[in-house]
Amino acid sequence: MTFISIEFLIFFTVIVFAYYLIPHRWRWVLLLAASYSFYASLSSYFVLLLLLSTAFSYSTGIMIEKQETKEQKKKVMLAGICVLLFFLGWFKYFNFVNDSIRAISAYMDWNYAIPYQEIVLPLAISFYTFQAVSYLVDIYRGKQKAERHYGYFSIYFAFFPQLVAGPIERAKKLLPQFKVEQTLKYENLSYGMKRIAWGFFKKTLIADRLAPIVASVYDSPDPTGSQIVLATVLFSIQLYADFSALSDIAIGCARMLGIKLTENFKQPHLAVSIADFWSRWHITLSAWLRDYIFVPLCKGRKKRSEIYLVIIITFLISGIWHGAAWSFVLWGLIHGFYRVFGDHTKHVRGKMATFTQLDRSPTLHKWMKIATTFLLVCFSRVFFRSDSVTAAFENAQLFLTPSSWRPSGIIEAFELFSLLDLVIFTFFFVIVQLFHYIERKNASTWNWLSQRPAFARYAVYVLLIVSILVFGASGQGFVYGGF
Amino acid sequence: MMKNIEKYRNAFMDALELEEDEVSEDLALGETSEWDSLGHMILISTMEDVFDVSLDSEWMTEFDSYQSGMQLLNRLGVDFVNE
Repeated sequence: MTFISIEFLIFFTVIVFAYYLIPHRWRWVLLLAASYSFYASLSSYFVLLLLLSTAFSYSTGIMIEKQETKEQKKKVMLAGICVLLFFLGWFKYFNFVNDSIRAISAYMDWNYAIPYQEIVLPLAISFYTFQAVSYLVDIYRGKQKAERHYGYFSIYFAFFPQLVAGPIERAKKLLPQFKVEQTLKYENLSYGMKRIAWGFFKKTLIADRLAPIVASVYDSPDPTGSQIVLATVLFSIQLYADFSALSDIAIGCARMLGIKLTENFKQPHLAVSIADFWSRWHITLSAWLRDYIFVPLCKGRKKRSEIYLVIIITFLISGIWHGAAWSFVLWGLIHGFYRVFGDHTKHVRGKMATFTQLDRSPTLHKWMKIATTFLLVCFSRVFFRSDSVTAAFENAQLFLTPSSWRPSGIIEAFELFSLLDLVIFTFFFVIVQLFHYIERKNASTWNWLSQRPAFARYAVYVLLIVSILVFGASGQGFVYGGF
Repeated sequence: MMKNIEKYRNAFMDALELEEDEVSEDLALGETSEWDSLGHMILISTMEDVFDVSLDSEWMTEFDSYQSGMQLLNRLGVDFVNE
């Protein structure tokens, strides 16, 4: 039962009805049963691991709080984190490390006998492990009290709308919302349904329509340079539509239950720098990395060069978190390099903008920065999308070859689309851009829409639903659902 | 012995590599090229060392100007008035 399915919509409708019909004191039981059922429907094999991780984090949190000295608390916290990371490491990184050692051993002519192991990655382990780590660290830091109610804690760990791919939430934000009696509010139901519909729209009309086209190039043994350029730009659009749709559905479902989750995206492809990009893309992961990796590692650093090293380490961890492959490691390092290079050259770039009088045209300057940032992000995504390091370097070389960018070649590459697919994609892509434009001019497109006449509002809602039903493509999993 | 306000100003000069006349009460995060997000991390590390305090992520966000930094440190026990 994935988010994009009739089964999920029926399941969720039943949960919403039941949630508001039963007394508040029993709602945690319902949410917990719903969360475990949802997880079991996707990955029944690993429910036990989810239960074990929950119990372990719950008891470790209480143990940290019970310690008398800061030093003792720290020891328990670190031990707890090590155990959680051991599970993550075993399931997600064992073969990555094992394969890497085997490759080095073969190169060095060493004898290394541990073969490849058939290890299945438990669904959502990267997401719930990060939530658990933040919970333990916050207790150690005195920002969070250890939760004593096992039921509420378990929902925090496994809340089904955000379990599979975030947003990565902090206990401080979620737990109090579960404990407060949420009353049935029209605004919550209405907003939640719109967000879910918008998520379905982006997923089925943008992401899943682009996925086979992108795959046809990246899976091809001999793509042309222009095809790689076009497919990489399309992959960026696909990835954004895919992941932001997942967040929309999570936020929408939670809101229908009265729970407010953290926004995960703020139009990231309009970022004016790499730093800006990471404040708009997967915001909850960026905030997590900032609070639990970057800031602690920055303690005591008083030189920019030292902070640069911390940036590289943080992006390296971000890359490894995304996937157990060297291509993800490289992807993380590329972003670290971008961030450091951007900071190191900012004075020079400022002078160049003055010299070329670009800074006298702020709008043009801004759009040039947006285009540059987008292309840099696209280049990094060659590594994100490629199946191996070798393929990534080949594709990157094609991406960087000037002839790959010839307009005639790019136009030719559009033959990847059938005419009908191109028209459908263009139409819905324009709608998404229109939505974003209204969002930039107003705080919220949905609020803006709610102030329009009833016939205009309903015309939009009907357009959304009919478009999904008639033109929606499905069957592709969520990219971030695999992390 | 150096007063806290002098230590505070010196911390800005050291961390952000500013001249004395560049450290004013109007100074704010993001309004000079020196006090950017990375300069902020260096400034926080310097303040922690100088005043022997620990600033977590939330306080780091709150410390977004010369004035707010003084108010924050004041709450953490650094006295800028009666010393």
